[in-house]
Amino acid sequence: MIRSLLFLLCLGTGVWQLGSAAWLLAKAELAQLLIANAWEGQLQGEGAQKPWPWADTWPVAKLKLQGQAPQFVLAGGSGQALAFGPGLLAGSGDPGGDRTTVIAAHRDTHFSGLQYLKYGAVIYLQDSNGHWHSYRVVETRIVDSEREMLPIFAERGLLLVTCYPFAALTAGGPLRYLVYAEYQSGGERVQL
Amino acid sequence: MNRVMLFGQRFHKDDLMLPTEEYYRRRQKAGGAGRWLLFIVVVMAVVIAAIGAEVNAQELPGVSDVVQAEPAEVVTLDEVKAGDLLFTGSKPGKYIPAVHLDSRVSISVRGLVAEVELQQQFKNTSGTWREAVYVLPLPEQAAVAGLEILVGERRIVGKVRERKEAAKIYKAARAAGKRAALLEQQRPNLFTNKVANIAPDETVQINIRYLQPVNYDSGVFSLRMPTTLTPRYIPGIPALPQALNADELALVAENSGWALPSDQVPDATAITPFMLPAKELEALGSHNISILVDLHGGLPLAKIDSPYHDIDIDKKGEGRYQIQLRDGTAAMDRDFLLNWRPRTSAMPRAALFSEKITVEEGGEEKAGAYLQVMLLPPSDSASVQRLPREVVYVIDTSGSMSGNSIRQAKESLTLALSRLHVNDRFNVVEFNSAPRAFFPRPVAASEENIRRAREGIESLKADGGTEMALALRMALGQQLQDDTSSVHQVVFITDGAVGNERALFELINESLHDARLFTVGIGSAPNSHFMRKAAQFGRGTFVTIGDISEVRERMQALFARLENPMATDLQLSWPQGIVADAYPKRIPDLYRGEPMQLVARVDGADLQGDIQLRGRIAGKQFVRKLALTLDGNSDSSGIGSVWARSKIEALRDQQLQSGEQSDAGLALREKILQLALAHQLASPYTSFVAVEEEIARSLEKKLSRSPVANMVAKGQVLQRQAYPRTAVGLYGQMLAAAILLTMAGFLRLGRTVRSNLTRSLRRVLPDPRQSGAEAQPQRGVV
Repeated sequence: MIRSLLFLLCLGTGVWQLGSAAWLLAKAELAQLLIANAWEGQLQGEGAQKPWPWADTWPVAKLKLQGQAPQFVLAGGSGQALAFGPGLLAGSGDPGGDRTTVIAAHRDTHFSGLQYLKYGAVIYLQDSNGHWHSYRVVETRIVDSEREMLPIFAERGLLLVTCYPFAALTAGGPLRYLVYAEYQSGGERVQL
Repeated sequence: MNRVMLFGQRFHKDDLMLPTEEYYRRRQKAGGAGRWLLFIVVVMAVVIAAIGAEVNAQELPGVSDVVQAEPAEVVTLDEVKAGDLLFTGSKPGKYIPAVHLDSRVSISVRGLVAEVELQQQFKNTSGTWREAVYVLPLPEQAAVAGLEILVGERRIVGKVRERKEAAKIYKAARAAGKRAALLEQQRPNLFTNKVANIAPDETVQINIRYLQPVNYDSGVFSLRMPTTLTPRYIPGIPALPQALNADELALVAENSGWALPSDQVPDATAITPFMLPAKELEALGSHNISILVDLHGGLPLAKIDSPYHDIDIDKKGEGRYQIQLRDGTAAMDRDFLLNWRPRTSAMPRAALFSEKITVEEGGEEKAGAYLQVMLLPPSDSASVQRLPREVVYVIDTSGSMSGNSIRQAKESLTLALSRLHVNDRFNVVEFNSAPRAFFPRPVAASEENIRRAREGIESLKADGGTEMALALRMALGQQLQDDTSSVHQVVFITDGAVGNERALFELINESLHDARLFTVGIGSAPNSHFMRKAAQFGRGTFVTIGDISEVRERMQALFARLENPMATDLQLSWPQGIVADAYPKRIPDLYRGEPMQLVARVDGADLQGDIQLRGRIAGKQFVRKLALTLDGNSDSSGIGSVWARSKIEALRDQQLQSGEQSDAGLALREKILQLALAHQLASPYTSFVAVEEEIARSLEKKLSRSPVANMVAKGQVLQRQAYPRTAVGLYGQMLAAAILLTMAGFLRLGRTVRSNLTRSLRRVLPDPRQSGAEAQPQRGVV
């Protein structure tokens, strides 16, 4: 009796945990496909588009990290937006604008590749007009988010933020991994 | 043979090795223990793995310097020498605050004024000389009238000086090694207290004396004292340290906040103290407060209570009570609120207190008095025609609201929606870094719309910045200005944790039109200054909710105000021949239960006649009279300070309209300065400074700055400063799933696996239970 109860309990919670993990991963991957369409539409000059009708966010940029597949950046850093892709934090600068651009994503989905970015790596960012901007990594740093503010300044630059450590089991720790990239050049409509 | 068919018995009974009872018992025992062992081991493994991950996370910041590949290009707070909040203790890797804080408050309530003496002891626990920098929250209407340093038996009395001059005196004393203290006003409810040259292991006590008016509302007197603050959000773009001018750099260097000055909040460093969780500070025995209240209202009381603290009440005589904390001290993590309610028979409808003075004018001594007047408009229970209302609810979902606050806010909002009538219209705006309206325009309060709004409210989460200006603009822009068919109301539910209060007041003042703004202060340590002033500029009123259990009661009080007529067009006339300088200058509209309260200065020795309050309630005129007398019984000191403080507030409000740097603004500054110097009060332009003559620290000894952290308010989560949450905990989930599924697999297949195992083992090893007995056929193992 106890055995079968335990069995059901373990099976149930196991499947639930696996399912929710799979759901998070699937959401993260699938959403990028839908967002890709919205982004294309936006580049055609159809204005800001929501990737699906009930979405509370929309793509604002396309991000390409060196040696990795491009990703679509969504507006806002809320949990809802970050589930689907990297988020451009409200209050930070637009891509190529005169203010630090801050993009955050989950370390276990979209920004798991952040740990491989080394000094000098190139990051490309496409703004909503289709112009590509390039940045070069100049610093990686670990900060305690309880003690420090986001370093947003009135100058061009790109700051990528994700949780740290990358392999931690639980979410919600205070540490953040920052990658700061200097503005290189931009404005051209280059095909990557 | 039927049995064979029924039970599937394929062996002859004699061929079977039937398990004995002993076998069953052992199996049961061994199997049960084994299962539990497996379970416990797995659980332990998960816990250990999780702890390991946490420990890794904790250890790594120390290594972060190594990770840094290049010299820092991003300018962080580290570079603007922020001083050291913490110093390394005896254990490596463990940091503890250098200066501990202990507070004692004694409050004496006489009439409608409370005189408070706040004693704060700064204890230097480190081995070096320290300067303590503490951001001190005070009640929003406090008139700070005294500062003293107490070192051992010596008492050094502070004086009020012009702000820059005071800072200069303090700096000189600090550099010279003299003991000194400086108390600067940053916001009407936020001060910075600096104490220089505290010797190793020495305790320096600072006594601060202030006066504050007692609040009277719906038959209840109340007194609120904050002990900590909710970390404030700093809107705007932080300036690069290179771009700061000399004044701003000095400000950054002198203070130790976590925020850099931004274009909207130039003094951000002064109002953003570091916060430490209650648990860490309690372990050190720091940040405790003891409170003693001497209540001498002269009225027989029906009830005294303190909603957030346990108190002991001693009756000392007729209308006189002594109140203290039951446990002696309490953690400084929430506001102290004391309510007292007079017996219904003794419920005051009017009160007059006075303080006699003599003023010198042109060499002549003239008599005069400060008056404090409280007068209730007639309560009118006649029902009036209810106008349809159009209400925009604004809910703060910024990071500072996380924890209990957002729960209280959601609960309040849901309750508010349930009070709407069908012919009312409403909308909900939630905001953090950006505002979002639930409906494009206010919609009818139909069941369907309310249900949709409720669902929206349910899913709200507290995260992100506090861009209040955008939210206020959106909320105030929702309503059509020329629409006179309904009453326009904005209910703003927030903790007020922002650094740009004055800019917001200006915004409310400009874009209010015919709407009224009501604020609902949420949390254990709301920004009461913001709540009160925003409601004042919004021609509304405010309530505060400090605990989830208070939501219903406090919101009811607010609804009663939203729904009932108020006293408008209020005018006060003084008897002929009396020149009075009274504040507030214009009497605001009064909501149900609110009295008119004012402080005035009158000239002349004898006062005669009545003051008259005229106004209208629900379209009907009313007049209330109060006889002016100066009898000795109602004489109470301290009204002068309260009057000066109110006048400063009125002048500051005027300054808001003209701008601080304009000619008119500078003229007002001069007036405030003179007033504050004359009354010896702290103000935006004056600070208290106290310096000991004797030199305490010889100059070869180093002095380090030690910011004293504030305690994280009860029920709040230590702010992740503007950083988003960037992990979903996928690995943990996947690991848990793997473990659980494996366990399930074991539980189901365990039996088969084990029997297979036993069988193969039996082939090699003799069965211990069978040893000695005759060999029996082995095929019958079930």
